[in-house]
Amino acid sequence: MFEATEINIRNKRIGKGIKFSFLLMTVLLATPVLIILAVLIQKGGPMISWDFLFSDPTNGMTAGGIFPALIGTISLVIVALIASVPVGVAAAIYLSEYAKDNWLTRIINLAIINLAGVPSIVHALFGVGAFVLFFKFGTSILAASFTLAVMTLPVVIVATRESLQAVPYAFREACWNMGATRWQTIYKVVLPNAISGILTGVILEVSRTAGETAPIMFTGAAFFLPFLPQSVFDQSMALSLHLFVVSTQVPNVPEELPYGVALVLIGIVLLMNSISIAFRFYLRGKKKW
Amino acid sequence: MKISVLSFFTFLTACGSGGSEGTNSSRTVLQNKGSDTLVNVAQAWAEAYKDVNPSVAIAVTGGGSGTGVSALLNGTVDLANSSRALKKKEIDLAKSKGFSPVENIVGYDALAVYLHPSNPIEALSIEQLKSIYGEGGTTNKWSDLGIKIPGCDSDEIVRVSRQNNSGTYAYFKSAVLGKKGEYKLGSRDMHGSKDVVDLVEKTACAIGYSGLAYANDHVKMPCIKKEENGACVKPTVQTASDRTFPISRPLFMYTRGTPEGATKEYLDWIKSDKGQCIILKKGYAPISETNCDT
Repeated sequence: MFEATEINIRNKRIGKGIKFSFLLMTVLLATPVLIILAVLIQKGGPMISWDFLFSDPTNGMTAGGIFPALIGTISLVIVALIASVPVGVAAAIYLSEYAKDNWLTRIINLAIINLAGVPSIVHALFGVGAFVLFFKFGTSILAASFTLAVMTLPVVIVATRESLQAVPYAFREACWNMGATRWQTIYKVVLPNAISGILTGVILEVSRTAGETAPIMFTGAAFFLPFLPQSVFDQSMALSLHLFVVSTQVPNVPEELPYGVALVLIGIVLLMNSISIAFRFYLRGKKKW
Repeated sequence: MKISVLSFFTFLTACGSGGSEGTNSSRTVLQNKGSDTLVNVAQAWAEAYKDVNPSVAIAVTGGGSGTGVSALLNGTVDLANSSRALKKKEIDLAKSKGFSPVENIVGYDALAVYLHPSNPIEALSIEQLKSIYGEGGTTNKWSDLGIKIPGCDSDEIVRVSRQNNSGTYAYFKSAVLGKKGEYKLGSRDMHGSKDVVDLVEKTACAIGYSGLAYANDHVKMPCIKKEENGACVKPTVQTASDRTFPISRPLFMYTRGTPEGATKEYLDWIKSDKGQCIILKKGYAPISETNCDT
């Protein structure tokens, strides 16, 4: 019936070749992640112990643990989330559900895109000027977290807006036809259906917040502070800055120490990510469409 | 579904308030920022002071002398670490802001030149050092200096230096090679002050530089002449602190006005034998002869 001609065979071969090379790219993409994890676990793994996680650094930061830095990073992330998630989600709801497509909305959208593109060191300078000096927070967790919050707002806004817009328009129309107001519709129908996407934004934000060094080094993170922060107006150590410090600033650090710190930092990010991913999975299971 | 959303935000808020609970206002926090040369010493002081006075927390931050000074002028630090004296412009600026910065010398950064004990050289001038270490310098063999070292058959000067992110590397460069000077290539770059001395001790052809505190009986420290015909000064704690030794600079902690309260107590402790032994251990010279036997 149908005989494969020469051109059919050639096209098939080209198609296979393209498929294979794209597969190769995908594998290449995953390799750095795996290599990073493997190196960190191999070199830093032996460092990880109860003492390493829960004691203060000693002997000029060449020995001991990372507890103040660990707590510092966790507080920075939490305060940054509290500052940015409500603002980001509210802004996204406004932009997606209320705003008309006029010049103001377009300017706001442009501003968000540009905010996302601002280098983190510029955010750091902004943080010093705005939060440390102008609002007189001093170098503190509050100032550092607000700087991080400003930096990560676009991530939250964009992710939230995308997931709100992914909720089919028919859902809203059905709700309105039942006599619900705009807010009732958002609250009862749109948000519950969009929550998994909003969580994705929050996950991304946590990862970035925990890892950033530049925005916090002038605004709230200390090179060394062997006490736990007692209020948001205290300074604290942070894992990312601690990693920088023990890798470059402190002499005679045992080689495994920086790897240990890096492993803990990446561990926190992965842990938070997997908790959120599990939560997302659970919510998605309840989705009815 | 509604409950999920609410509980998620409640969770966040609960964590946040948890972090700021239990405020104990009795603890004083001193902000200490500046020089990267001093940052490791400042860290060691802060670490040790935790046991001396647990009610005072010292937050140490690096960033360089300039960072410390500008933070002092902004009023965001209590103690600014600096490896240079304040410029007149900075003092004027401070005065226009209504305070006068007070200089507290907490130690000295003095670099001795180290030679193998069989090396006959007793004195070196800055000019000779520059010719040995500096790019474009012509002294590459010990015979260029008119000497012969027993046990050094190659006659080659083995230059021992430091890795390029070390403060010692930077200070030796600015004090000996001059502002625009660069190191000659081909030196042995060590990753620690002690390693320099150890290598020189074992190598007859070697010359090295390192903190005064790393001196031991198995190496030789020539006296250093600032000018070719000038007086030759032996590197000692004494000559470092009276600033006659040419490769030495004071290390400062500046305060806004005369130190008071917790800041004063901390500075007094730093200047005491306990504090000075810590700076000595970190490779810098103390402000006066210090007895650190324990």
